[in-house]
Amino acid sequence: MGSIAGIAASIVLGTAVAVGTVVGLVSNQTGAPSQSPANAESPVVNYGTD
Amino acid sequence: MDAAPGLWSLLLALLLLGPALAPGFVLTYDMVWVPDLGLGVDALGVGSGLPRAVPSDAVVAVLDDVIPGMLLQKLVLVATLTAAGAGAAALVGGLPLLARCAAATVYVWNPFVVERLVIGHWPVLVGYAVLPWLILEAGRWRRESSVRPHLLLLLPLGCLSASAGIASGLAVLLFGLGRGRLRNALLTLVVLAGNAPWLVAGLLHAGRATSDPAGAVRFATNGEGPLPGPLAALGLGGIWNREVVPVSREGALAVLALAALLLVAGAGLRAWWRGTDRRDAIALAVCWGVGWGVAVLSWGAPQALGWLAAEVPGGGLLRDGSRLLVLSAPLLGVLSGHGVARIRAWFQPHASATVVASLAAVLPLAMLPDAAWGASGRLHAARYPDWYDATRTAVDPSRGEVLLLPFTSYRAPAWNRGQKVLDPLGRYLGIDHVSSDELVVSGQRLAGEDPRGEAVRQALTEPTPGARASALTDLGIGTLVVERAAPGESPEVAGESILTSSDVRVVTLGEARERPVPDEWWLAMSVAWAAFLSLLVTGVTWTLVRRRRDM
Repeated sequence: MGSIAGIAASIVLGTAVAVGTVVGLVSNQTGAPSQSPANAESPVVNYGTD
Repeated sequence: MDAAPGLWSLLLALLLLGPALAPGFVLTYDMVWVPDLGLGVDALGVGSGLPRAVPSDAVVAVLDDVIPGMLLQKLVLVATLTAAGAGAAALVGGLPLLARCAAATVYVWNPFVVERLVIGHWPVLVGYAVLPWLILEAGRWRRESSVRPHLLLLLPLGCLSASAGIASGLAVLLFGLGRGRLRNALLTLVVLAGNAPWLVAGLLHAGRATSDPAGAVRFATNGEGPLPGPLAALGLGGIWNREVVPVSREGALAVLALAALLLVAGAGLRAWWRGTDRRDAIALAVCWGVGWGVAVLSWGAPQALGWLAAEVPGGGLLRDGSRLLVLSAPLLGVLSGHGVARIRAWFQPHASATVVASLAAVLPLAMLPDAAWGASGRLHAARYPDWYDATRTAVDPSRGEVLLLPFTSYRAPAWNRGQKVLDPLGRYLGIDHVSSDELVVSGQRLAGEDPRGEAVRQALTEPTPGARASALTDLGIGTLVVERAAPGESPEVAGESILTSSDVRVVTLGEARERPVPDEWWLAMSVAWAAFLSLLVTGVTWTLVRRRRDM
């Protein structure tokens, strides 16, 4: 396959890596915490939330 | 060059674990490690409850007499992830280095590993790490006339819990059966011996080895973000507990990650099928199908699995539907390795071929960036507070078993940064104890399986402190440890306070009634442990003899 295709594929994959990283990091920093802090008022600590 | 995938896997392991490797213990959900775990009746499989930590607790209890518990936990975590990646790379051993590293990346850096780490299922992950190596050794067992001791050494590691043992045993039989009746029988015996501790302990408890059917609904495979359960499971996600799902899996990135995985794996499908021994290829595909199939069944028909858990002893093993996804991971790793090799071949001889293949190989990191650094800080090390030591010193093991109050399973202590963890105090004390095995998921109580738990609950409802003390001593309980900061009720029980602080209160009760373990149970478990240990002893001896012969 030609070098142009190689460059194009590099750009596509590189973009995917970069976008993935940025989106992931941003969503990680801005997303709501999935685990509530311990609540002293709660009678029992839940094992989890489904 | 052969060491490169191992080093790459080690790098991934260090990047993933990050702060978890700092001094202290990683205590998260079901992952409870202590400085010196005791070898009590529960660890040996003769306790009153189902053998949920057999044989893993016994193995740790023995090993931490040699290696300090804190160091042992770090070694296990790092070695598990490194061996997992190196094993996946070994499954595609004939491919170029980049392809092998790609297989390692997919196998280590995925939602299953991260979610099971955070929820603390380390024996499942040890089984996951051993699985590729077991597949290779079982294949050799079937194909080659000479046999090696490796299978005997690996299988016990792959069977540290019931679900890990089921996955390991199934894979070994799928890959290893087929070379004469004698060898088949021998292989089956080896698999049974590796699984003997939890299997025999489970049979001893068969009369009450059923679970709350509601658990199967609560522990069913879940969707992640926009992905429904089956698609989440396709990318090795879908754990029931949303609290342990990485944030990046809750958005569009989950879809992008699945698409990338399917594209790269799909690119390698043809090459893999053509270049692999047909029997091995079918076995790998069947493993994948079983793992994904059970996950989808648990998503689509949790009530059916609930019925199984409630009616069939041991049926509860399938209630956490996505746990058997360990069986699906080897094929995904192998296909990804072949996919990257194929992508590289498409672009050769141009220099861009290596760039493209390298980017494809590291794509999983970009698709799950918050797995890094201890799953974005969720995995961290904590130190036990001083009152744990004071309590351990105060409790006299000769006075009978210890009851932990409040009678609830999980804690979220401030000294562990509020991270949830199965109450570690009982394990820390190093003696036989009674703690609740009732679970609360999304506010719904799931009944425990240990009949003593219910008996203790009844005893605590007696009308007076004296009556409670009397009922508890009848159950074999001689000491009470009340954790004051833990949420939940701790009814007053008559007794002598021998340690009182703002954190804890230790109360000794009257003389506890002895609860002897039936002789038949000891006998049965002795046979099971002997079978389990015989694999290790035979494997080590065989290895030494071979080395000496080859010198």
